[in-house]
Amino acid sequence: MKRLVYLLGVVSLLIGLNSCVDIFDEIILHTDGSGTYKYTINLSASKVKINSVLALDSVDGQRVPKLPEIKEKIALYKQKLEDKEGISNVKVDANYDDFVFKFSCDFSNVTALQNAVRDIVKEESRDKNDPIFNETWLTWDGQQLVRSIPNFKSPINRLKAEDQEALKNGKYISVTRFDKPVSKCDNPQAQINPSKTAVMVKSSTHAVTANPSILKNTITLE
Amino acid sequence: MRLYLTLPFLVLSSTLFAQQSDDFIPKDAVTVFSFNNISILQKVSMDELVSYDFMTELQSELFDGSTQGKTLKDSGIDFNQKMNIFYGKNPEFELSGFTFGITDKNKLFSVFDDFDRVESIVPGVEYYNNYFNHLMIKGNVGLLIRVDSDQEYLTEMTDSIWVARGFELPWVYDLDEYYDEEGNPMEEGDIMEDMEGIEDGDEVEEIIEEDITEIPDAENDELFKNYYELRDSLESELSRKRLELIVNELFIGGKNLKGVDARLAEQMKHTSDGIFYLDNSRNFKNTNGLWYFQTMFPDLYKDLNELYSGNVMLGDIVLNNQSIDMKLEANYGPALGSIYEELNGSKFDKNVLKYIPKNNSGYFTYNIDLREGYERAYDIIIPILSQEKNPRISANVLTVELLDEFINKDALFNTYKGSMFGTFNGMKRVKTKRIEFFYDEETFEYGEREIESEEDMPVFTLGFSTARPDIPEKVLRHMSRLTSQFKDMGNYWVYEDAILNSLPLYMINKNGLFIFTNDEDLAKNHSNGYGSEAISAKTAKNAKKSGSVYGYMNLGDIINKLPREMFTEERYELLESMKGKKGIMEVTSSATSREKTVYKMTYSFDGADNAGKYLLDLVNTAYILSKQ
Repeated sequence: MKRLVYLLGVVSLLIGLNSCVDIFDEIILHTDGSGTYKYTINLSASKVKINSVLALDSVDGQRVPKLPEIKEKIALYKQKLEDKEGISNVKVDANYDDFVFKFSCDFSNVTALQNAVRDIVKEESRDKNDPIFNETWLTWDGQQLVRSIPNFKSPINRLKAEDQEALKNGKYISVTRFDKPVSKCDNPQAQINPSKTAVMVKSSTHAVTANPSILKNTITLE
Repeated sequence: MRLYLTLPFLVLSSTLFAQQSDDFIPKDAVTVFSFNNISILQKVSMDELVSYDFMTELQSELFDGSTQGKTLKDSGIDFNQKMNIFYGKNPEFELSGFTFGITDKNKLFSVFDDFDRVESIVPGVEYYNNYFNHLMIKGNVGLLIRVDSDQEYLTEMTDSIWVARGFELPWVYDLDEYYDEEGNPMEEGDIMEDMEGIEDGDEVEEIIEEDITEIPDAENDELFKNYYELRDSLESELSRKRLELIVNELFIGGKNLKGVDARLAEQMKHTSDGIFYLDNSRNFKNTNGLWYFQTMFPDLYKDLNELYSGNVMLGDIVLNNQSIDMKLEANYGPALGSIYEELNGSKFDKNVLKYIPKNNSGYFTYNIDLREGYERAYDIIIPILSQEKNPRISANVLTVELLDEFINKDALFNTYKGSMFGTFNGMKRVKTKRIEFFYDEETFEYGEREIESEEDMPVFTLGFSTARPDIPEKVLRHMSRLTSQFKDMGNYWVYEDAILNSLPLYMINKNGLFIFTNDEDLAKNHSNGYGSEAISAKTAKNAKKSGSVYGYMNLGDIINKLPREMFTEERYELLESMKGKKGIMEVTSSATSREKTVYKMTYSFDGADNAGKYLLDLVNTAYILSKQ
C-alpha cells in the first residue's frame, strides 16, 4: 500500500504542479474479444515545471521522487502486468526529455484486462475490501461493449483551486476501435468516425478526474 | 548574503534605570535583540504576537487560550523598560528567553496563567515554573528563561554512564557490516556478488531505504526504556543545575552579558528603537563540528580562534513612519580585519550598470578584490598552519605553497577578479517546445508533432568582471567542440536545454564581463548593454558609492512573483513569511577598514500597518532565516 500511496502522491504532485496534462486511452477490440489497450500521458507542456520539481527534495511536505525511482516503479508495474493471465506484449515507452509516457498491451479478452488492472491496484491497496474492486468497467458480449474508467480515489480533491483550474487546459481523449461497424453508442459526447469503426469521446483531464463516469459509453455494433 | 538578510532583525528600545531588564541577560547569550521603544507594540494583539514563529517556538507552552483577545498592553508589561530577547548555544547547553519590565503582576499572570509559584532557588527572587520554562521576578524585572542540554552532549553523557554501569546500549550498529533487504547482516561473499559487473569508475547508485532501522518499542523493551529513563533524568538534572548556575550568576553574582561585554553595554546606551548584538567569535568557539579540531590540534585551534576574536556584529534600528532604517556594524579583530580590508578594496565596475535594466525588480553588486584578499589571507593563515607539526596539515600546507608558486595567479585572478552582479528582471514568457497529439477526424488515429510553447519563467542575469575574456572563451570553444548544444552565435553563446533540460542558457563575454542569463532578449538584442533602457547613473548612485555590497529589492515584485517551484521547502517557508509585503529594500555597505564594515539597510513601505508590525514581520523573517 505504501507503494500505491507513494505512486498516487507522485501522480498528484505532478498533476498538481502542471498546467496541462493530456491523456489518451484507446482500446482496439477484435470480434473474438481480444485486443490491444493503449494509454498515453503527455506532460510535455509542463516539462520546465516538472524538471524544476524533480530538482527539489520535497514539495508541500511530499517527497519528490528522483528519476531513477520513477523509472524503477514503472518497470515494476510493467513486470507485474506482464505476469497477469491474458495479458501479453506489454510495452512502455517513457520519454523523460519531454515527459511523454506511452503504455500498451495486448489482452485475450476485456475481462483479463480489467482483472489485471484491478489485481495490481488491489495488491498495492490497504483496503482490500474497497467496493471499487467489485465494480465492472468493461464488458463485451460479442455485440456490445460497455466501457468506463475505474473511479479510484482521485487526487484532484487534494489540489489547490488554482491547480484544479489549470488542469482544465488538459485534454482527455478516449477512443474505441472495432473490426465491424458501430451501430450506436449512448454517450452524448461520443463521435463515430465516417467509416463507423471507431468511437471517440473528448473531454478535459479535469472533468474526467473529477467525474470519471462522463466517459461511460455503451457501444453497440451492427 | 545572509548578513544582509539578517539586518532586518534589529529591534526597539531605551530607558536607563538601575537593575533594569537589560541587567538580567545571561552572559552565555550570543544573540540579543533589545526593543527600546516597546510602546509601539502596545497595539499588537497577543494572539497576533504569539502567532509569530519566533514567539511560538521560543516559549510555546506559555501561550494557550490565556492570550485570547488581549494585547501586550493588557499583559502587565512595563513599556518604559526594554524588552530583551536572547539566545545562546554552546557545546553543552542552549538557552533562550527574554527579560522585561513589569508594572502589574496580576495582569502578567492573567496571561502567563500556566505558571505555578515554586520554592525560590535564589534568595530574594520569586520563582514560577511551567514545565521547561522558568520565570524569575526580581523587583520589577522578569526573566523568562529556558535551558536545554545539548542533545549530542547529553547522549555522550548518558552512553558513558550506561556503559560504565555494565549495560549494553539498546541498539548496536556494526558499521562494518552491510544488510540485505530483510535487514540481516550480509556475508562478505554476498557483498562481492552484489558488486559483480561493476568496474572501477562506474557510478554506483546506492538506494537508501527508509525505515530500515527499527527503534525498539519502549513498552516492550526494558533495556530501551531504562536507557531513556536515565537520559531523561540526566537531562532534567543537567538543565536544573545549569539553570541554578545561570540565575545565581545573574541575581547573586551580578554577572550578566552587559557586564562582561562592554560592546553590548555601549550599544545598550543607544537611543535607537532597537539594538542587535551577535558575538560571532563565540559562535566560532561553540561550533560543535570543531571538537575534533580542538582536541587534535589545540594550538592551531587557539590561533584560528584568535583570528575571530573581536568579531561582533552590533546593530541599531530606527523606526520611521514609512520606513525602517537599520545600521549594522560588523566588527573584526586586526588579523581578520586586514583580510577583509584587502578583499573589499575593489572599485565599483561601472560596466555592470549597462546590463541592469531600468525596470528590474531587484539587483545586487558585489565588489571584492580576490587577489589582494588571497595574498593577505595567505600571509596570515599559512604561518599559523606551518607551525603545526601534524603530517596531514603539513602536507596540505606544502600543497598550498606549491600551488601558490606554480599557478599563474595573474591569469587566475584576472579571469575571476571577484566582483559580480545579479539582476532579477521579473517573470517572462519564454519559448519552449512541447509534444502535441493531433487526431485525424476521419480515422481517429493520432499522430504527434513538436510545436513551440511558452511557459512563465523568472528571468535572471548573473555576471562577473573579468580582465581575461580569452580564458572563458577558450572553455566555451572547447565545449562547443564537445557538444552541438553549445553554439557560438557571434555576440553571445548559447547552451541549449541547459536550464531544467528545457531552456537555453545564454552567455555574453563582452565589455570586461562574463554574463550568464536566461533572458533571450538580453543576449540577442542587448549584448552590449541596454543603452537608454539601462538603469541610470543617478539611480545607481548608491550602488556606485557603496562599499563591497549593494542590494536593491522591490519586495512586492520579488517575493510575490517568484514561483513556488523554484525553492526548497526551507526557502519557501522564508518566502511565505514575507508574502504580502510591499516596499523597497536597499542595502549599502561602507568601505571596509581593519576594524569594521558598516552595513545600512532601509526598508520603505506604504502599507496600512504600523511600523511595529513591519518590524515584527522582519524579525520573524530573520528568525526563520537564522534557523536554516
